[in-house]
Amino acid sequence: MSTNIPKRRVVITGYGMITPLGKNTEETFQNACEGRSGIDYLTSFDTRGLPCQIGGEVNNQWIEESQSCISKRLDQFSSRGLRLMMASTAQAVRQARLDEIVDRDRIGVSLGSHGDNPSVEDMMFLHRFYDGKGNWDMKGLMQAGGYSYLQFFRRKPDASTSILSLTFGCRGPNLSIVSACAAGAQAIGEAYRMIQDGTSDVMIAGGCEATLNFAGFVGFVLIKALSAKYASPQKASRPFDRKRNGFVMSEGAGVVILEELEHARSRGVPILGDLLGYGDSADAYRITDTHPTGEGAILAIRAALDDASLRPEDIDYINAHGTSTIQNDLTETRAIKEVFREHAKNIPVSSNKSMLGHTIAAAGAIECILTVVGMNNSIILPTINLQFPDPKCDLDYVPNEARKCRVKRAISNSFGFGGQNACLCIGVFER
Amino acid sequence: MQNFISEQKVIDEVKKAVAETLSSDVTGMDAENSLIKDLGAESLDFLDINYRLEQTFGIKMARHFILEHIEEMFGEGSAIDENGHLTDKAVQLLKIRFGEDLPEFRPEMDMDEVPTLITIKSMASGVMDILNSLPDKCAHCGNSAWKSDDGVRIKCSACNEYAGFTSGDDLIQDWLKKVQDEKKIF
Repeated sequence: MSTNIPKRRVVITGYGMITPLGKNTEETFQNACEGRSGIDYLTSFDTRGLPCQIGGEVNNQWIEESQSCISKRLDQFSSRGLRLMMASTAQAVRQARLDEIVDRDRIGVSLGSHGDNPSVEDMMFLHRFYDGKGNWDMKGLMQAGGYSYLQFFRRKPDASTSILSLTFGCRGPNLSIVSACAAGAQAIGEAYRMIQDGTSDVMIAGGCEATLNFAGFVGFVLIKALSAKYASPQKASRPFDRKRNGFVMSEGAGVVILEELEHARSRGVPILGDLLGYGDSADAYRITDTHPTGEGAILAIRAALDDASLRPEDIDYINAHGTSTIQNDLTETRAIKEVFREHAKNIPVSSNKSMLGHTIAAAGAIECILTVVGMNNSIILPTINLQFPDPKCDLDYVPNEARKCRVKRAISNSFGFGGQNACLCIGVFER
Repeated sequence: MQNFISEQKVIDEVKKAVAETLSSDVTGMDAENSLIKDLGAESLDFLDINYRLEQTFGIKMARHFILEHIEEMFGEGSAIDENGHLTDKAVQLLKIRFGEDLPEFRPEMDMDEVPTLITIKSMASGVMDILNSLPDKCAHCGNSAWKSDDGVRIKCSACNEYAGFTSGDDLIQDWLKKVQDEKKIF
């Protein structure tokens, strides 16, 4: 606002995803249009005895089929989340014809991810060589094959970003973002700023998450964040519904190729969407409770609108964070009403998490892409499982069925557990 | 059987647990303080406070609040109506249970307000209920010779085993059944 130098315009020239609902963007979007749920009983680890036994898993076969872009060597260092990211990025890179760009120094990577949790098997293995009093049997450990350093890399979120840039030959800025549910959107937002200010011309930006194992899951169980009451797995994620009782954890990855407008034009690559603005903020309130009046969320949404030089009435659709927790859905509704005032009731608001579950660090990226695809097809994806309206959540949540509707400008919200908030403002590309 | 740990001791231990969880000090803490409104606790902190009290007294605190138990036993909508407000029947029950301790319960009260009513005293009373479930005889040796050396854990002086108590959730359910049988609220 204060500077007179016009900011460079940033457009989307490619996207890719792998989710519980599909092996790519087209399949995920199609299934979401039909209001399908990607949630089922978990098979990735033994959930017996846990109050929540469901989640959104990505079909292993889809992952196997998509890994041809990774060398066997790099694959060993890759967390499951990174493997999902590789699958998505390969789709996006193909669509944006990234291989044809010669100057690789101007292509960067911005990734929101959290790395693998140590498996229970890993912990049990290490336990064999430790007496609990500070004494390690290093000789025994080494004789047993040692603790693989590969695990070390799989746990580090920075390793994922590094391997991604190595695989796709991007020598520009390299950014690892760790901000829970806001990570995917923040990764895209920060990448957008790097292109805006000229640090980079092209960015691979998105997020990935694969923590459906005991160590990753049980923390959320302990803090009672997950849905533990459901008639069927498919009915558990019910954002804005009175009977919602927690979120459903999922895995997945989503990635966009962001590119400076003139750079994209000079290559003649199809432009899929316009990134208009980005805002982020922190609640600075409590560890897991969201601010009751949604102050942090309001700050982020307003910042994104300001950044895009748009007024609240310019927005035609809100892709909600909509986690299906009592706290988020109420706070998000309040925040939307505060920012959009009398216009709030007229804006369709929907939650992709009703179908996909919560893919944590991937959510912001996947939801950004689904918003873009929806805009390009004039379709608003539904909030499924909205059967019992909550009087406190009284906006138009596009219940249960997709809607044919022209959308020119939308926002996508991502609000993290620790009060980290991000909002992306996206537009249909217009010359 | 009447347990012999004093209410004051329990209140002191609740204060200690709250102080440890919130990294604050027990001085200045009052039994009437609301954990959320006066002491700055958040929902996450209740898990930790409960855990500390379980370790201290060797008990199992209730995992679910009484409103959840009412809904579970008497059907959806029995405690909280579709506007998220407490039903008249739920308020009636809460008044029987908490009486003068928590006079703030009123019909139409928003369910979100309920956690803010939890005080050090109301938490201590939950702990006392559990401690009062002390059985007459030791489940291990059959003797009736309870003692407490440290004022918080009850032991059998015959076989040295710790006493077992009914869990907080079971106690709430038993209580609800009893009140329902007597007063036929639902």
